[in-house]
Amino acid sequence: MKLRSRTALRSCLVAIGFASAAGLVPAAGTQADTLADILVNPEVDARPLQGTVADATRDAYSQPFSTLRASDRDTFIHGRSVFQRAWVVAPSLDTNFDGLGPLHSRLACHSCHQRNGRGLAPEQGQRLQTMLVRLAVPGQKENGDLLPHSIYGDQLNEDAVPGVRAEGRVSLLWHESTVTLEDGKEISLRRPEPVFSRLAHGDLNDTMTSPRVGPVVYGLGLLEQVPASALEALEQQAASEGGRGFLNRVHDPVTGTTAIGRFNYKASAASVLFQSAKAMQGDLGITSRYFPQQNCSPQQANCQQATNGGDPEITDEQLHAVAFYLENLAVPQRRDTDQPQVVRGEEIFRNLACNSCHREQLPMPSDYLHANHISPYTDLMVHDMGEGLADGITEFKAGPQHWRTTPLWGLGLSALISESEQYLHDGRARSLPEAILWHGGEAQSSRDSYAALPAADREALTAFLHSL
Amino acid sequence: MPGIVRSMEQADRSRTRCPLITDPWVARREQDRERQGCRDRAPMDGFTACPAPFWQPKDLATEWLTRVLDRSTRPMTLTILGLLLSSGAFAQDDSVVVMTSYPDNVIARFEAAFEEKHPEIDMQVLWRSSGDAMAWLAQPGHAPVDVYWTPSPRRFEQLKESGELRQLSDSQRALPDHIGATVISDPDGYFVASETAGYGFAVNRAGLTEAGIPVPADWSDLGQAEYAGTVGIPVPSAVGYAPVLVDIVIQAYGWERGWQVWSEIAGNAQLIRRGATLVSDEVVSARTTVGLSIDFFVASAIANGADIDFVYPLHGGMNPAHVAILEEGVNPGAANAFVDFVLSVEGQTLLGHPDIRKLPVRPDVYANLAADYHNPFAAAEQGAYDYDHALGQPRLPLLTALFEQMLVTEHESHVRLWQAVHAAERSGADMSAARELLGTPLISEQEAMLNTVQAPFRQGADEMGNGGSANPAAIAYQNDWHAQILDRHARVEPLVKDWLP
Repeated sequence: MKLRSRTALRSCLVAIGFASAAGLVPAAGTQADTLADILVNPEVDARPLQGTVADATRDAYSQPFSTLRASDRDTFIHGRSVFQRAWVVAPSLDTNFDGLGPLHSRLACHSCHQRNGRGLAPEQGQRLQTMLVRLAVPGQKENGDLLPHSIYGDQLNEDAVPGVRAEGRVSLLWHESTVTLEDGKEISLRRPEPVFSRLAHGDLNDTMTSPRVGPVVYGLGLLEQVPASALEALEQQAASEGGRGFLNRVHDPVTGTTAIGRFNYKASAASVLFQSAKAMQGDLGITSRYFPQQNCSPQQANCQQATNGGDPEITDEQLHAVAFYLENLAVPQRRDTDQPQVVRGEEIFRNLACNSCHREQLPMPSDYLHANHISPYTDLMVHDMGEGLADGITEFKAGPQHWRTTPLWGLGLSALISESEQYLHDGRARSLPEAILWHGGEAQSSRDSYAALPAADREALTAFLHSL
Repeated sequence: MPGIVRSMEQADRSRTRCPLITDPWVARREQDRERQGCRDRAPMDGFTACPAPFWQPKDLATEWLTRVLDRSTRPMTLTILGLLLSSGAFAQDDSVVVMTSYPDNVIARFEAAFEEKHPEIDMQVLWRSSGDAMAWLAQPGHAPVDVYWTPSPRRFEQLKESGELRQLSDSQRALPDHIGATVISDPDGYFVASETAGYGFAVNRAGLTEAGIPVPADWSDLGQAEYAGTVGIPVPSAVGYAPVLVDIVIQAYGWERGWQVWSEIAGNAQLIRRGATLVSDEVVSARTTVGLSIDFFVASAIANGADIDFVYPLHGGMNPAHVAILEEGVNPGAANAFVDFVLSVEGQTLLGHPDIRKLPVRPDVYANLAADYHNPFAAAEQGAYDYDHALGQPRLPLLTALFEQMLVTEHESHVRLWQAVHAAERSGADMSAARELLGTPLISEQEAMLNTVQAPFRQGADEMGNGGSANPAAIAYQNDWHAQILDRHARVEPLVKDWLP
């Protein structure tokens, strides 16, 4: 089976001219051989990524690649300061950081990505802090993006500058249900229902709502560097094997073109720079070259009339520094890889075909950190994950049940860094077994196989995931 | 219709597109206007918006009242409203506006815990750096602030002097008002300490061991020749917490010797111009072996796994943060609830979180914290905190400027000359003349204590931050000091010429 796949992929790579893409230089053998091996053979370890950090502390997601040049260090630190800095209401003496809002969710980028880690869903009755609620109405924009609510926009902002009415408050109502595994073990699953209050502009009625926690922000530069041609090859391979997943193709205002979406829960952003600018506007109300309008709808008159902090509010230099910072946040090294339980868990990970989507290796251009591959445990494609996770929202090609394969690298430190164990886009899973049991759709067979495993194997799989 | 503030603003705009702004906004906003242009908010008209006041009345009665007062009575508006509001006529107490300069990791934890304890109160955060906070409060028609909560003692003194603070209740004033010789709360009860932070050394112990250098116990140790090239100093004009560092050493050793110590340390040091966590970053990465720092950045890094240490020197010093209730606030009940929470066992315990690591001002809370958590009350009993914070506060801007001219502007030359002094002394030469030239303070202590000398620098700092020098008198002083330094270096040069690197 592996041989057949590899042969098919080689043909595919040759067919699309991948061998000449992105200036790749093979470490050994022919280029196509090496890349094909990387794409289909998880044992390939020809030139692994340099510069990862051997840090298992709560700073593990906050380190630059150890290979970061000294000359780039100032830019990295500057980007970090912009990422962590609270923006202020304009006008302000601090003209470099004024322009918060008029509507906003928090004060700083860092607010939703504390220690660059995963945000957390609040418990019942608590306010959102590191989570937002995405809003959409049926239909799509001309460019394919989601269609925002006519007044509230594409996310509900719980805060606003003085003189502007905040849009409302959200809390989560958790619904519990129980799943029984084949060996009789019962696991409780929970699903959030957003509950809105103090809505400033009337009920949301039939608006589709999708609570989403702040995602991790390390390793993004590496995902950005995976050659598009390699991803397209993977997509074709998936199509030839029964259509498991596809690449989201999105409008990228940075380049003005359609590009492969790599970031966000539905792969709706093509670049770190674009995603940074989009979050600046959506979460903080900070305008940029790419999003020059304030986050107010025409009906929000006091919002429209509020003072801004410049035009745009974040300079190109600040925005690029943030993107540079995010692109250069290193991925922590794996731990405990020799432990028998972890080794066994890795076997199970492959046996359950988890790695068909959480792909163990993706190729890199040869001039990027001297690696010929990375191990992100994602294919950057969106997959149908079933009705259980559906949120009703369509973003470009990704429909209500489609979610991008979450990169699993660094996953094992998430609970330490975020101070709580939560997974999936809305933090509903309180453990890795819960997260696996929420998999449906294309992942249903893997999920069912997991539910049939003996307890020791389930624990081994968890141990493997914690080693990432 | 947002109410009177919009009405007043529209009246202004009917007269001019860019209404004048009251000090101290003018300089910065004019820079903004040059950069951006200025316009009404109407889209696509080719300008950016002029500053607008923000306050939106909270109920119809207030809105009616504000509408009937035209702009000719504007100066009276806040006064009248203040009287009415202080009477409780419009207090709603379903929200509290807290102005602060704390980072989000502090704010978020207090916000979550406070709202969990008081679900009936919506905590609204107005983030301002300390100078910017004063500008906000000085702006006519600004949105009222209920609570000011920030680590910037001088601002609280200013607000008290200008009558903008309410006296706190007896229960809110019940915690200790001093630690050692450092008075941390206002004796008259207009503001109280909400936490404090100590100063000392972030130390890469492995780096020191490798270099065969002992862990420093006090500031003067860092001026010894063996520490050459190992010390990192945050530049006081660029790093918010650093001016107090200058004063701690000067109070500890006296004016003359204190500047000598600084000269020696700076001769061994590299300068770190950014704040935030950079000093600890430098020490973690071993680019600097000993970094002078405020404790919580380093303690947080340590608590989160960084392999460094923090040493509290024999001559310690601290910088308290405060909380106060503003007279102009419209939610006095909610404001009191917030202050009570900040000072409560629950609120003070939050300070021990690994991402915060501030020093609580409730002595009883330390029993709940890690055994190695620095307890300044216990340390003070051993004489560690003889630092007089109140003495230092008015002169910090002056000290910052003196430090800048004496040790920063010609730092490269300063280091080079000190390297030569150390080399000369290793060969047995007498370098006392060079030491005196490099370490003698630029002005006498008597002169430094004169209000006429301190005031121009305070004014500059109010307008421009630590590094402010817009005042003509301050600029003249600094030009003179810089000339003195150039002259001194030129005079040291021949004394050490045989040992220059």
